Amino acid sequence: MARLPWWTGGILMSGLLLLTFSIYGADRPIGASTYVPYFAGLLFDLDPEKYSYLKHIENPGAWEGILLLGALFGGFVTSVFITKSFRFSLIPTGWKKYKNNSVLSRLIWSFVSGFFMIIGARMAGGCTSGHFMSGMSQMAISSMIFGGVVLVSVIVTGRLFYNVKEK
Amino acid sequence: MEVKVITESGDLASRIAQMFGNVIHQGHGSLALVFLIGIIFGGIIQYTRVDKFEKIAGFSMLKDTIVPKMLFLAVGLTSIALYFMIEAGWAHYHVKPIMWQGLVIGGTIFGISMAIMGKCPGTGPISIAEGRIDVLVGAIGGLFGGLLFTLYYDDFFKPLMGESLGKLTLPELFPGHEHLVVLIFGVVVTLIAILIPKVEMFDEADLCKLPDDQRPDKE
Repeated sequence: MARLPWWTGGILMSGLLLLTFSIYGADRPIGASTYVPYFAGLLFDLDPEKYSYLKHIENPGAWEGILLLGALFGGFVTSVFITKSFRFSLIPTGWKKYKNNSVLSRLIWSFVSGFFMIIGARMAGGCTSGHFMSGMSQMAISSMIFGGVVLVSVIVTGRLFYNVKEK
Repeated sequence: MEVKVITESGDLASRIAQMFGNVIHQGHGSLALVFLIGIIFGGIIQYTRVDKFEKIAGFSMLKDTIVPKMLFLAVGLTSIALYFMIEAGWAHYHVKPIMWQGLVIGGTIFGISMAIMGKCPGTGPISIAEGRIDVLVGAIGGLFGGLLFTLYYDDFFKPLMGESLGKLTLPELFPGHEHLVVLIFGVVVTLIAILIPKVEMFDEADLCKLPDDQRPDKE
């Protein structure tokens, strides 16, 4: 099977969340946005004593950094050997179909949205993994607020940003 | 267990070595386990292809619903199992605080970015691992976003995020009926996952290397 159906993916992801939460696993939730400011701190040699936020994220940032290395490895191996989807590309098919054919436009929008995505995630205290999956699994009210806001924001942006009618 | 890592000025390699040292000592699973959790995380996301632009941006256009179906199913199943694991002492709560301004402003910015980039911070790296250069450019943008957030956290972002109203979960709102609330929440969220109509946007470039009988669009 070259693609996993959504329900198998959901069940497996649930199992992984439970393993990560359990005291026999990592005794913490899965998160995937704290590593970004952590890496920025590593890369630009910022002193955690001077920047309180780095002090604040020292442990979760490092933990997610290792998780990320694993995810890169797992994603690479799966794309090459199982889904046969590894290829270099600069512009997604869907972007060509619903936005434009310009590689430059895609790269600029990608950079800008990547920039703001991390600021948004860090302001809210989590992303799709930390809030939506891990947070809502704990029935956290904060994560339900985040989930609701993101769903509306995603769908409104999709309507306004893309030419939803097929070219 | 809190372990303070001594910060020493050094080159990038020694700072990365500190990251490994930190994870070994922070008591949230062994280094190998955390790496393995990452491999499985990346594997599941890659194998289901939910990291594709066509799945996430496709959802923003309501032309693909695989991402919300999978997310809601994972949340519905996990919520029930996790609650009873916590009651049995096999896990702990790690609830994030309610900060209205941070959640609403941050969530709005996050949603706009997610629709445009067609990735989120968890799925983005997996797209990079399968060769998507545009996402790598987005990740570099993200690093600068993280840098800006870190530099101006105390002066700008922290005040903008507002006061924390504390940590609250849904069952805590219904004292005495916790079990019922958990079951209803889990079942309703799972049903939402099943009832969302399945719509898919397929990408020929993603499927062209597969034999006909393995293509999900030709079932």
